[in-house]
Parts: sequence; structure tokens; C-alpha cells
Amino acid sequence: MIALPRPLYTAVKLTALAAAVAILAVLPRFMGEFRVGQFTFVGIYFIALLGLNILTGYSGQISLGHGAFMGIGAYVTAVLTLGRKGLVLFGHHPPSWIPLGDGMRPTLTIPIAFVVTGIVGLLFGMPALRLAGVSLALATFAVAVSLPTVAKRFDDVTGGGGGLSLPLPETPFGLHLSAPHWLYYEAWGCAAILFVVAWLLVRARVGRAWRSIRDGELAATASGVSPALYKTLAFGVSSAFAGVAGSLLAIQVAFVNPDTFPLSLSILLLASVVVGGLGSLSGVIVGALMLEFLPVYAQHPPLVGQSFSKQAPGVVFGVVLILIMFAVPAGVAGLLRRIVRPLTKPVPTVSD
Amino acid sequence: MAELLQQIVSGLASGAIYASLALALVLIYRSTDVINFAQGEMATFTTYTAWSLMHHGMSYWPAFALTLAIAFAGGVAVERVVIRPVERRPELVIVIVTIGLLLTINATIGWIWGADVKAFDSPFPNNTWDVHGVTISIQDVGTLGVCLFTVLLLWGFFRFTTVGLAMRAVAINPNASRLLAVRVGWMLALGWGLAAVLGAVAGMMAAPTVFLDPSMMLVILIYAFAAAVLGGIDSPVGAVVGGLTLGVLINLLSRYVDFVGTELRLPTALAVLLVVLIIRPQGLFGHRAVRRV
Amino acid sequence: MKKSLLVGMTVALATAVTCSSALGATRTSSSPAATPGVTSSSITIGGTFPMTGVASLYAPIPRGMDTYFNFINARKGPDGKKGVFGRKIVWKYYDDVYNPANTVQLTNQLILQDKVFAIVGSLGTDPNIAIRPILNQRKIPQIFIATGASYWGLSYKDFPWTIGWQPDYIAEGIAYGRWIVKNAPNAKIAVLYQNDDYGKDYLRGLKIGLARKTSLIVSEQGYEITDASYASQISRQKASGADTWVLLTTPTPTVRAIATAKALAWKPNTIVINSVSAIDTVMAAAVARAGADFVAGAISTTYLKNVTNPKYAKDPWVRQYRQLVSKYGPQGVEVNNGNTYYGVAKAYDIVKVLYLAGKHPTRQSLMAATLKMNWVNPYAIKGVKVKTGKTDHFPLSQVRLIRYGNGSWSEFGPLIKGR
Repeated sequence: MIALPRPLYTAVKLTALAAAVAILAVLPRFMGEFRVGQFTFVGIYFIALLGLNILTGYSGQISLGHGAFMGIGAYVTAVLTLGRKGLVLFGHHPPSWIPLGDGMRPTLTIPIAFVVTGIVGLLFGMPALRLAGVSLALATFAVAVSLPTVAKRFDDVTGGGGGLSLPLPETPFGLHLSAPHWLYYEAWGCAAILFVVAWLLVRARVGRAWRSIRDGELAATASGVSPALYKTLAFGVSSAFAGVAGSLLAIQVAFVNPDTFPLSLSILLLASVVVGGLGSLSGVIVGALMLEFLPVYAQHPPLVGQSFSKQAPGVVFGVVLILIMFAVPAGVAGLLRRIVRPLTKPVPTVSD
Repeated sequence: MAELLQQIVSGLASGAIYASLALALVLIYRSTDVINFAQGEMATFTTYTAWSLMHHGMSYWPAFALTLAIAFAGGVAVERVVIRPVERRPELVIVIVTIGLLLTINATIGWIWGADVKAFDSPFPNNTWDVHGVTISIQDVGTLGVCLFTVLLLWGFFRFTTVGLAMRAVAINPNASRLLAVRVGWMLALGWGLAAVLGAVAGMMAAPTVFLDPSMMLVILIYAFAAAVLGGIDSPVGAVVGGLTLGVLINLLSRYVDFVGTELRLPTALAVLLVVLIIRPQGLFGHRAVRRV
Repeated sequence: MKKSLLVGMTVALATAVTCSSALGATRTSSSPAATPGVTSSSITIGGTFPMTGVASLYAPIPRGMDTYFNFINARKGPDGKKGVFGRKIVWKYYDDVYNPANTVQLTNQLILQDKVFAIVGSLGTDPNIAIRPILNQRKIPQIFIATGASYWGLSYKDFPWTIGWQPDYIAEGIAYGRWIVKNAPNAKIAVLYQNDDYGKDYLRGLKIGLARKTSLIVSEQGYEITDASYASQISRQKASGADTWVLLTTPTPTVRAIATAKALAWKPNTIVINSVSAIDTVMAAAVARAGADFVAGAISTTYLKNVTNPKYAKDPWVRQYRQLVSKYGPQGVEVNNGNTYYGVAKAYDIVKVLYLAGKHPTRQSLMAATLKMNWVNPYAIKGVKVKTGKTDHFPLSQVRLIRYGNGSWSEFGPLIKGR
């Protein structure tokens, strides 16, 4: 195997990254409106999975409730986009103490969703510190299960079971873009920004602290890392990411109700992040692609009969998921790492 | 007063169902260190199998026994075929595999038996007792009885039999167990087989009240999971106490706390649970893992 | 630090490239040539249904529709041609698991990739609300929605491209309310409802039907889909002393509720079961666990013939239905399932409205046709007319009360006008 010197290896990685971004940038030109929409969803899931990867992959905390945090972001966007006027128009009467404006540009609600959901995540992370493993799984599971019922209960704000209809997406600021293209670039624009944020966090002290906690909490504490602070931070960051994803989803679908973020979404997000590869940002794209396209494949599997799939697309999905875990348990990123590792042996220099 | 007692009695009845499935979860966790998300679906599948047997003329007890045998074989098969390839992998990978299993089995049930609700026979007579204004159904008493009996069996199994001891050893330290000539692979398969049997029992006890429906156990799994963790994920006694407590708690909360009503029953009960877990992270009867540096 | 700078710069550069190329990508969607979904030999229609998940009991509906469309494609019509004016009906449907986010994506797939002529028969209130704005904006027909919500018929001014089909839940609830007031004016009513649009719509109708006598309701208890047991609610209903029990519940919860009432030794004199749950499988299961006595005399409503009712065994159209299913039914079709029958009945109206849309149908002509419906659907019970007009956007709105006894439902009383 050829051993590449480290700087060259870094250059290769950067080129790959630039190439990926370039491809994403021009993809819409080659696709019809429907595919653009599908890839917008890939972008949305990408953001959600980045967050989940930080939580589960880097800080080692399991979450079965990531979909619920997406839901929170979605509701924030829906409620703020409609504003008090919009809600009243639909027959809801939100209490006056909630700071609702008169309706906002959807794009502007995205950072608000980021902050609000992040805060909720932090608030959740604090008591969750005492829980680990199974108990934490249950706690996050409880959040996922409770979101639909809580949303239905406080229907004066959330629209209850009937949900909230957002205005159909429109390209703002007079840009010469079709609405689907605008949504695509909005989603991937956010994805690019959040990818950089995630990358910086992971490279920085925070990321090292997370990894040390994941690999051995006792040793981390002995080294002066405060698990409480960093674990809570991980929850905050990952939910903030989920909030953005949910916000973008609400804008894309133009409708939010308790059924749009069911428990199954949280479970599928977890499955996708493992398939992509935990503890690595590059595998996330694979997870996002799988999450968007595997259900579609399951309904029309080319290798299996059409009528079979009509009755049991779940069978195809479940079996494929299991097979993927057999084949690449470390996720796709893990597979790539194993291929690439022999290529990166450090070249001995004179000074060694 | 009679109403309060009635709510408690009903809570115990539903709690017994949660506890029954929780026992299966605890057994798998105790023997293989894994949360099996597919436990509910496996239970549903075996219950549907029992239904098919009875539908084709078999009477209750032979069908019951045959179903338990099928469940055992099925559990062992699942462990050997689906779990074994990923046994040594990180816990999360095994969890994802059980999720895949959940999706597969759930879809298969709908495909084979359809989505229409079906009635399921019960070995207990369909009568009720009236005790000072509180109605107690024999079915519920029977379910509770079976549940308690199962806990007793499990406790005895783990405490007093060689096989039970071997299973516990394998869960704590598979490598050391191997050195002691314990067939680790078969212990794991046995764990899954027994858990599948427990699941089948849970399903057949629940089905007369809850009726057969492909998503029958999906909802109960939520409660069973909560009950198991509340009781201490490695304690069978805890699972039962957890289940019964959860059942009663939900009823009392929804009846007597207006804010909760019937809408926020489940979230509130889960919130209470989590408060308990924050105070006592290992659950009511669980064992605290003390890490010595 | 240097490395992060490099990465940041790379992404920033790439983002700049993105923005500039985005501004250049001004291609809008291509303008439609002919009417989408219509060719000289075929007409493509599509819909979304919960084929799996908690609402999967409705899965037989699109299969029933498929059966009828297969029949139409094989037989020679009144003009001697197969299909509708010689055009084969291509029926596409996807599983949205009752999640509106999926419904939106799948409906987009239908209109953008499969290029359907119209969205037909999609199931679910919230899923259809989610797709209603986009379909109306694009002027794509959203017809014969499978749900009893009343929105479609009421909001036609804002959403002229949307129309429902079946008698709505409010109308049905009104029928129950009026019957109770007339036949049991001193009843003490306990209502158990599913806490979502379905149950609440029924409840609203019930109260409208009770008019000034809503005080007859002594207990109103809801339940959630995530509830494993309704014993808490039902024991309260028993304690309220109610003698009339109205069940506004989907099929599985209905049997659970009945079995729970039996286990609590509560037997209300009169039981009202909503039409979605007054089906054979539910009644059979209820009888198995609670006894025939418990449900004898239960009241419900219907507008379609009951395919397993011995009274209709000799009905020529029910027999034809059975023949159609055995000859043209797709894989997995269940002939004794009322939802399959519903699908066939609806497909009958769909085909008629396609004919009405003319030899060269456009989306406009289809919507215009849906407002000119005036015929008898032979799969519906006697006297029911399929009728719409400029101000009447409810194709079916008549129901008849039915009573359960001896293992089957019998119609009684006059045809009730829902609206």
C-alpha cells in the first residue's frame, strides 16, 4: 500500500469535501422538481443526523427522542410563521403571555427554532445527567412518545390534532429561483453552516471532552473534564440541530401536526446514524440518503415483486436494515476508515 | 371510596399486562445485556400463531403449549440467525438490529393475518366478582396470578438452577464464563428462547382484553419498557412491581388530577417515573454498578 | 487551528459557488403540454393510503378500487370500448402510514413523477389537509377524499379543487343525537370518544343532534391511541349511572371498550356504535368476548349495502361485487371486508365522473363533473342518491339507521338526510 504523507491526505480530504459541496450545489440543474424535493429532505435529515451523531456518536448518550426535538423546531416555525393573527384565523386562541408576533418570514424562524430547541435540549440534558444507558434511552423515548399528546393537549398554540397549515413555500427576497430550488438551497445552506459548526466543535476542546467522556467517564473526570457540563452541552447542541431540521421540514411540507413526528421517526433517525457511522461526520450523508430513499425503495423494490411490497414494505425495510448492520456494523464511515487507514501511515522523516 | 378502589383494581389489571411483557424484556437484558425492541412484536406473532391454531380447531391448552414450544424455537432461531452475527458488536448495533426485527415482524404479521381485529380465547371464565361495590374480573385476577407465578419461576430459575447461574455468569462476563466451560453461545440463545416464551405468555394473557391486532403490543411495549426500567432493568421482581405501580399510577393520575385528565396520562406517568429514576438511577430493585478505579 | 481555517475556507468558497450557481439556476418547471395523466390510451390517477401502521385497517380500500378499475379496463363500455372512452385506468397508490409529512412527499411523487391526472380517494383528514393547499394552488383535482371530515364540503370556496365523498361524521352524529332525543328522551348518555378529529367530529355532530338536550350527556370521556386500557374511563362512565352508551371509537378500541365494560359488569341499555366500527369483524369479536346479549339492539348507521349480511346475499349488485373480486381482485384482496366493498362503491362513482368529464377530459372538466353528479350508486342502500350541485358539495349525505340482532344488522326507519 502506498503511504501518503499527512498533508497530502488532508488535501485529498479537502478536495473530496469541496467536490461534494460542488456536486450538491449544481445537482438541482440536473433533476426534476420531485428529485429536488427528495434531496431537500436529504439535507434536512443530514442536519438532524449531524446533531444525533454529536449526541450519540461523540458524547456517547443514546437518544430515542430526536424526532421529538425536530417536532419542537417545526412547531416553533409553524407558530411564528402564522403569528397570532394566523392562529386566530384558524380558530385557535393562544394565551396572551406567549410572545407571538404577527407572522414572520419562515426563513427568519430558523435561528429562533435553533435557539428554542437548543434551550429545551439543555433543560432536558440537566436532569438526564443522572440517567445512563437504559434509563436515558427510556427518558428520551418518553419525550418522543409524549410530544404528540402534549401537542394535542395545548391545542390553542399547536393547533391540536388538526395541526397547523403554513403558507405554501415562496421564494423570498425576489430571488429568481423556483420555490423548490429555493427550499433546496435553504436546506443545504443551513446544512453547510451547521456542518462547519459541528466540525469546529468536534475538533475543539468540546469535542475532545465529549470523546473522553464517551470512552470512559471515570477517566475523563479524573482528567478534569466535567461530564455534567459537557453531556448537557451535547444535548443542547444536538437538539438545536434537530430544531433546525424540524423547522426546515415544516417549511418544506407546509403542515405540522402531532402525526408528523411520530416515535418511528426517532427510531429511524437512530438507525440511520448508526448506519452512517457513529463518531464520524462524513458518514452522516449516507444515513441521510438511506433515511430518505430506503422507504421509497421498500415500496418499489426492483428485486422483489411489486405486489409483495404493497403489503409489506416494512419487511423489505427491516431486512435491509439488518443486512446493513451485518455487513457494516461500524457504519459506512467505519468501512471507509478501514479502507483508508493503510493509506495514511506516516512517512518517516529525518527528524524522527 | 369504592371508585378509588375500582381505579386501583383496574390499574393492577392493566399493570399485570405491562409487567408480563416487562419480564420478557428483563430476561433478555439480564442474559444478553441488550434491550430487545422486537420483544413486543415477537409476542404478538406468537399470539397470532396461537390464534391460528385455535382457529383450525385446536382447543386452548394444547394450542397454548404448542405456541410456547414454537415461541421457544423461534426465540432461539432469532438469536442464532439474526443476533449472533452482531453479538460482539457495540450495544447500539444490536439495538438497531432489534429495531430492524421489529419492523420486519410487524409487517409480516399484517401481511399474514391482516389488520382486522380478532377475539382471543381465555382460559379464565368471563365472569366478575363484586366485592363491596368494586368489580373484579376473573380474567384480570388470572392474568395477575400468571404474572406472579412467572416471576416466582424466574427467580427460582436464576437462583437455584445451574443453567440459570450459567446464564447470569454469561451476562456479567462472557469471557470468564467461556474459561469455565460455559457454552456462551447457547446460553444467549436460551435466554432469547425463554424470553420469547415469556412474551408469548404475556401476549396470550393480554389478548382476551386487548384483542388481537397487529399493533397490539406496540403500545404495551412502551409501558413494559417503562415498567422494566422503573423496577430495575435486571430485576424480575422489579419488573412486576414497576408494571403494577405504573398501571395504578396512570389511573389515579387521570382520575384525580384534572390537569392530567385522560390526555396527559402517559406523559405524566413517564415524567413521574423519570423523577424516580433521577433520584434512584438503578430503579427500584436494580443493582447499582459501583465502579472502582 | 490552521486546519480548521482551511476547512472553513473550503466550505465558504463552495458556498459562494453554490449561491452564484443557484442564482443562475432559474429553470422553472416545464410547462405542461397536454393534460397531465391523460393519453390517448390511458388515464392515470393516484392516491395515498395508510397501508401499514395503526390505521392500516383501511388498506383494503385501494385494493377494492383496484378491483373495479381492473374490471372497467377489461369490459366493453357503453361505447364498445374498454376502459373509459377507450382509455385504460392506471391506478397508483402509496403507503403514507398516516403521516402527513409522508403524504406530502408521496403526493408530490404522484403529481410530479407519476404525472397523475387527479388525486383520488386519498385517506385521512390530516393527510388531506396537508396536501390541500398545494393541490389547489396547482389546480389539481383532489376528489372523493376518504374520510368523514366535513371540511371538504364546507370549504369549497377557498379550495374549489377539493371535494369529499362519503356522509360526514357530523351528519352521522346528528342522526344519533336526533334518534336518542326521539326514542329515549330521558336517556342518560355516556360518550366514549377517540381524542382526535375523528372522535371530536362525531361528538360535535352528536351534540348538534341533541340540540337543546345536550344535558342528557352525563359522562364524556376521551381516550388516546396510546392508551392500553380504558378501564379508568369506563368505570367512571359506569359510576355516572348512564344507560345509553355512545361509542365514537375506531374498530379495535370499540371491541376493547365493550370487553372492558363487560369486565366491569356494566351493561348499558342502549349502545350506539359509529358506522366505521359497526363492521362484522368488530361485532364478531365483541360477541365472542362480551356475549351476543351485550350488543343486541346496538344502533348504528349505514349508506352502503352490507356485503356479509344475509339480507343482501341475493342482491344482484352484491353478487356482482363478489364476482368482480374473485375475477379482478389484486393480490391480498379480502372479499368479505367492508372496506373492500367501500373501495368498489367509490370506484363506481369515480368511473362515472370520469365519463362525465368528457371524451377529452381536462382537470377543469373533471372538477365541473364532480359538481354535476346525479345518479344512484347501486352499491349503496336503496334510496341513496349521489348528488352534487354548485352549492352542494357533499356527494353522499344520506344514511339509514341500523340495528344489530342475531348476528347481523337490519335497516330500520326512514332515510335520513345528513345535510
